[in-house]
Amino acid sequence: MANPQKPRAPFAPWDRRELPGSFSVEETARRVGHYKWAEMKLFEALGGWIATVPELDIKMRLGTHCYKHAWHAELWHKRLPELREMNPERLTLPANDAMVRFIEAMTEPEAPELTIEKLVGVYRVFIPHFISAYTYHLNNTSEITDMPTIRSIKFILQDEFDDWREGEMLIQSLLETTEEVDRAAAHQARLEKIMLEAGGIAGPGSIGINTPAPQGAMS
Amino acid sequence: MTITVTPEAFSFVSFDSAYIARIATHVAEQLGLTDIDINIAVDETSPLTRIDVEVTDSLISIRPLSGALEDTRRPRQQSELATTLAMARSMLRARDRLRGGFENAPLDAELTLPQAAAWDTYILGRISRMDIEVKKQAALYNFRNRHGFNDASDHVFEKIWNTDSVTWDELSALSANTLTLSA
Amino acid sequence: MKKFMPVEELARDERFNQITQADRMADARSAVPANAESTRRSSNRLTPARADASDAARSLMHGIFVGEIQALEGAGRTCWDFTTGEEAPFGLKLDMARQAWDEARHVEISLKLGDWMGSDVGQYAENTVLFQAACSNDPVLRLAGVNRALEGLAIDVFTSMKEFGEMAGDPYLEFCEDWMLADEVTHVKMGSDWLRKVTENDPERRKKALEFQSIVDKMFSYGGSRSDSDESSLGIARRFRELAGFTSDENEHIAELGLQALEERKAQIREKQAAAKN
Ligand SMILES: [Fe+2]
Ligand SMILES: [Fe+2]
Repeated sequence: MANPQKPRAPFAPWDRRELPGSFSVEETARRVGHYKWAEMKLFEALGGWIATVPELDIKMRLGTHCYKHAWHAELWHKRLPELREMNPERLTLPANDAMVRFIEAMTEPEAPELTIEKLVGVYRVFIPHFISAYTYHLNNTSEITDMPTIRSIKFILQDEFDDWREGEMLIQSLLETTEEVDRAAAHQARLEKIMLEAGGIAGPGSIGINTPAPQGAMS
Repeated sequence: MTITVTPEAFSFVSFDSAYIARIATHVAEQLGLTDIDINIAVDETSPLTRIDVEVTDSLISIRPLSGALEDTRRPRQQSELATTLAMARSMLRARDRLRGGFENAPLDAELTLPQAAAWDTYILGRISRMDIEVKKQAALYNFRNRHGFNDASDHVFEKIWNTDSVTWDELSALSANTLTLSA
Repeated sequence: MKKFMPVEELARDERFNQITQADRMADARSAVPANAESTRRSSNRLTPARADASDAARSLMHGIFVGEIQALEGAGRTCWDFTTGEEAPFGLKLDMARQAWDEARHVEISLKLGDWMGSDVGQYAENTVLFQAACSNDPVLRLAGVNRALEGLAIDVFTSMKEFGEMAGDPYLEFCEDWMLADEVTHVKMGSDWLRKVTENDPERRKKALEFQSIVDKMFSYGGSRSDSDESSLGIARRFRELAGFTSDENEHIAELGLQALEERKAQIREKQAAAKN
């Protein structure tokens, strides 16, 4: 073994993490608050829909996915005080009014014949937007100062990818006619337009474009 | 052959005695039981599924509790399949006793649970080959409950299920041996 | 999607046939002997010693299966029906989401056990009493109804089924019931803890919730199918109930309700059978 007294570089040659990041503490807290709000809306909707879908396999998947998003909301709830927000409810907010309208439109389908619309809203619109917002955050935040957020995002993204794949496969299994394909596409377009207005899960700049220069960021 | 069904009219359940008689006649013909009278007395006060069968040289008495003829999806309604199964099970049991090598079999009330399960397996296996829908997995589950949850028990189940001819002495020995293996 | 879903709207495919508790109670037949001099066997306990054990276990398993679906739906609806903060604490809703996942696994387990025991989905009628009785529009009452009464019943049922599996030597059944039992104890505990927390400064509301639970508990004694009497198919699983936060007084109260329900059912059966004979 090498001499234990010999000085070693604090960052190993394979550790290429960089200090700079795009987000200040405040900006991170703002985003995390929006993530929490959106994850809450998602788990509540999934929970509510369980009783409204007649397809037994989908009923069970919604129950399973419901918990995962509740857990994501919990992770963000616990992260907020670490970002100097001692009252997490204060930042548990929608990014904007369009985001509120998006949730209203997404949770509108209720009848048992509307499983396609329910799944399209979640798995073809909402969850892809989570994946993009989280990926943007993961790739742009400081790999040293904001490691706790990165760690949560990595766990969460794993869930989002798994659930997106499962949801997408359920949708594909439900689409049996060209009319149903049109139905799915029309509903997706309707929701995507509202999401465009909202600018993404954390509002404009969710994935970096249309972003006003972040306040107090080191970049 | 005369087939009688009581009660004529049901008040606890929506069963039809003429319908029961028609099904019973059809099954009796399929099983070659055309030379003997059959009396069916349904006890409509119990929802359980037990069926008592008694046999003499000239009469087969079948006494099902109402659950044995019922549609489990629609309580108190009669099921064609359940009625057919109940008749086929009872009549095969009677035929085994009358002319199937089961003269030595104890009375129904004196059968042990494993013996009853083995006999039921033999009966249901034959019914499954009469183009009547039978749940084999349910029969297997019953056999396992009485003979053990293991490969030896499953092997004997298959053997009994697939046979068209076995005597009481052979069947009861198979059942007893399986119990010894499972112990 | 509206808040508070009526029981008639629970979505099912065509294999299922739903009946209400009223339908069930209108059935004048009974496995419980209405008269002491009845010649039928006096024990209805679900044990392998019953000649119809496999049939009875299969039918109960299907009852568990649909009960799990309704528990899944109930837990999910609690996530949706109540506004976070104002009506239900965030932590309570997280617990309900967790319960939804657990119940989804229980549905999966029940499906596999149904295959194992040889039954089909929808083979038996689905009694919707669990959802109907337990899903109150007041979150505290719902907690008492779902997490204490319904989940308490689940503890009793799983204990019976686990013992059945043990006695019959069915390793699969015993294994599954043991795991589900662990989850149900957790769910009752969630209910007990939240009920205490939410009504900490509101003794009136707590009293109301416990009264509601008592009404639901009596309904869940299913006209006498759960009590200390051997005439009931299910017993009361005191040890696991205590683990889950029921006091021994509460367990005795449920035992009393069970016996009451049994006697009421027997009287009702006697009446109906006499009327049918005339
Ligand atoms: Fe459960
Ligand atoms: Fe539960």
